[in-house]
Amino acid sequence: MILIATSDKGGTGRSVTGCNIALRCALQGSNVCYVDFDFGSPTAGAIFHVESAARGILGGQGMHSFLAGEAAAPVELDLWRHMDRAGLRPRPPGAGRLVLFPGDEGGGEFPVDEDMTDRCVRLLRRLAEEFDLVIVDLSAGRSYALQLVLEATVRPALRPVLARWLVFHRWTRQHIIAAAGLAYGDHGIVDTGAAKGHDRDHLRDSIRFVRTAVPDLDSEQFAGLVPTQAAWLQETDADLQRLAARRRIGRSVLLGSIPLDPVLQWREQLILESDVWTLRIANPQTGAALDELAKDVMDDDPWEGL
Amino acid sequence: MRIQPRQSLLDLWQATVDYSYRDGAWTPGGRAEANSTSEAEQLLCLMYPASQIEAFKLDRPDETARDIRESLSTLGDAMEIPRRLVTALRDYMDRYTSDTGTPVFSAGSYLEPRAPGELLTSEQRNLDVVDSLSMSVTLSLATLGFLKVFERGVKRPTLRAEMAELTELASRRLTAAMVGLLRSFTVHSFAPSSPAGQVLCETVNQRGLPTETLVGELHEALARVRAGLAEVTLGSGGAEELENDEHLFECGWSWGIVRDAPEVVTLQPLEQPVGIAIRRPLLYFTVVALDGIADLFSARTRILGLLNEEQQGFMRALQIRWDLTQQYWSTLAGFGGERRWPLEDIPWRTTDGRESDYYSLLVISVTVEALLQNRAGDLDLARVGRVLEELAVRGRVTRRALADDPAVELHAPGIRLNLYGAEDQLGGRTGPEVVWPVADFATALFKRTVLIASLAGGASLRDRLLRLSDDIWDHLHQRRLTDGPAAGLWDDASGAFPHLKPGDQAPSWYLTERVMECLVVLARMVEQPPLRNDRLMVLAQDLALEADHIYSQELLRGSADAGQLRTRLAHLGRRLDRARAIADNKPGTAVAVLTEVLRELDDFVQARRSSRGLRE
Repeated sequence: MILIATSDKGGTGRSVTGCNIALRCALQGSNVCYVDFDFGSPTAGAIFHVESAARGILGGQGMHSFLAGEAAAPVELDLWRHMDRAGLRPRPPGAGRLVLFPGDEGGGEFPVDEDMTDRCVRLLRRLAEEFDLVIVDLSAGRSYALQLVLEATVRPALRPVLARWLVFHRWTRQHIIAAAGLAYGDHGIVDTGAAKGHDRDHLRDSIRFVRTAVPDLDSEQFAGLVPTQAAWLQETDADLQRLAARRRIGRSVLLGSIPLDPVLQWREQLILESDVWTLRIANPQTGAALDELAKDVMDDDPWEGL
Repeated sequence: MRIQPRQSLLDLWQATVDYSYRDGAWTPGGRAEANSTSEAEQLLCLMYPASQIEAFKLDRPDETARDIRESLSTLGDAMEIPRRLVTALRDYMDRYTSDTGTPVFSAGSYLEPRAPGELLTSEQRNLDVVDSLSMSVTLSLATLGFLKVFERGVKRPTLRAEMAELTELASRRLTAAMVGLLRSFTVHSFAPSSPAGQVLCETVNQRGLPTETLVGELHEALARVRAGLAEVTLGSGGAEELENDEHLFECGWSWGIVRDAPEVVTLQPLEQPVGIAIRRPLLYFTVVALDGIADLFSARTRILGLLNEEQQGFMRALQIRWDLTQQYWSTLAGFGGERRWPLEDIPWRTTDGRESDYYSLLVISVTVEALLQNRAGDLDLARVGRVLEELAVRGRVTRRALADDPAVELHAPGIRLNLYGAEDQLGGRTGPEVVWPVADFATALFKRTVLIASLAGGASLRDRLLRLSDDIWDHLHQRRLTDGPAAGLWDDASGAFPHLKPGDQAPSWYLTERVMECLVVLARMVEQPPLRNDRLMVLAQDLALEADHIYSQELLRGSADAGQLRTRLAHLGRRLDRARAIADNKPGTAVAVLTEVLRELDDFVQARRSSRGLRE
């Protein structure tokens, strides 16, 4: 299965959540690869604690160079050997493969051409056969990377492969409107996809949303609010729920909701069990939400919708 | 008011699903073996609040509030909850539809033989009762409305198919229940000198009039109802009963389809059982029928357009009966006017010669709606309120019971109503006599108390009634089951009557559903804007005038020129605007805001004076 992660705006926690999904799916036994299509800012390496690929890799062998035809094959990093984080090396027993395809340091956005689409199709086809879950992390917004993936997934070679879309957005008015726009608006995913030959309804039904940095009013971090702030926050939240429902990104198409967590917020990093239970720097709710999300990504039921 | 309807309803929801949803399926049943009424009650515990209170809606899963999702989490997440409900409702409607596609309203295990030890025949257990008809009207409407909104967001073909099937089943069940209600309405006429006539005359004769004068006045007072009944067509209870102008009469619902009730013509063929119920209105079933029928012409039913054309015709026919029945009973209840109402002469006597506090309560139940429609004044409401208070005392709801107190029987095991006619069976055979136990005294009392409280225009009357409802709730709360899988449901009467032995620990859906209705009525009252008090409004206006003036003086003095004072004054200006905006609807709150503004303005004034060395 190919899981395409995208967002309309930057700073939505798309990459950090995507990496955490990848890690958790791998820990649960699936073979997972993470493909960095965020050409402008390929930072997946940093999130995975791979110092040598923190801002993409040097040497012209990354995803960017491969798609541009400058490298025969993209570099793949076995993360179980490269992650510089206690508890993640070597591969924990029972875990599946976890591989990162990093971008190039100093790469950038580029227009899509026919050859590039071919290379993309071949790569994704191979990865879909080799891995249970292929996470493709796109640049934010209506990017070339988005064009490329929409173009590739409609090709006959990729048609049989299950492709699912995740749109990440923060829980604010602007982000909700932007996320709905990216999915359903002009030149959005559905619009662009349909123009490229995707079945409009099918494509729309394969999009799910993930809310990030969602304030949990019952959590301890909000214990210090004065009552008027709490009342305001509760009303605002209800208002956002209604807005999301109106924009058709309500709970029926919601895959997960990641609470506001200092660890995710200030140091975009993987959240391990030890962060939650031993170091206690991350909230248990965050760990639970990520677990749930990793489960639902692979599960069919949440994708069937109502 | 001490009760918190939202929290109490959430607790009830959680207890209901925890008990009912086992091993991934909705499991009907409780204290009584599952039957068409009890299962409807069990489902209504969820569906009724969801259809009546905005905050409890489940049909727009995108907007379900968190505490609501959590209370129902046994069913699944917000997306799964409505799906599970669809399945549970469809299974219910399916189970109570015969092989020929006819909805079944059998009373089943709710019926008891009058003489202990006797066994009811299966034919008797399959009798349709008005309780089931009325519950089915409410449940079908709740279901149809729920589906109508929910289906907007549903795409899954399997789910859509299941919902289409459920819509069809619910609509058929609704039609059949309406036809049943049309065929169980009855008019009973009798000579003033007959035993029934004598009881009626004694009941309403609170002024000691000679019988002839009384009968004349009664005819006069009921002339409009009588004329209205002559117009009733479709189903049972028409003009033929009223041929003798000398006769007195009563109207309302019997316990089931009445003897010789004509069939009602329907668009689709519908098997209609032969009626055997006595052609005499029974107060309890009249109240039950009126409650169900009221849902048919509620605003929600109209707005969502839940009735098809045929059902709208039936609805109008039922509404006429609803109006006439209300008028009839409220005329009796308040007959004779000033001195003492028949209603105040507790206990009420029914024309079959029985008397009970419970009947008084039922008469109030019928007349509450009439009070509502006539916009009754606080004087009348206060009289009804006093009757309720007295019933609460006499029924040992707000007073401790003596050992062997006969009043406790109202609650456990309840009053046993005779289902006259149920012993007659096909082919002329006679079976055992049948009774229907009812034990909803406390909930009926609560519901009517809150309804009257919400009608009350004066603060003191409302306050008195709400305190009464708090006390009744305390009683009900004590009767919750506290242990076992049914914890949080009802009913354990020994909680309120310690000399009773703790009974069955399985839930009584009969009472649990009625407790739920109580909470819904209460929640709807809380949704209304608060009472307005004229004195407070005058006070708020006067305060606003003074505050406004002093505020303007401050501005004139140039206070707005000083940095920190400026922001504070702007703040006070906004508070003043706020007070003016709410002065009409919440004068008390406006007074509170204005007091705060005035006090703060005075701080400035005083500070200034002290700098000039002045004293006030």
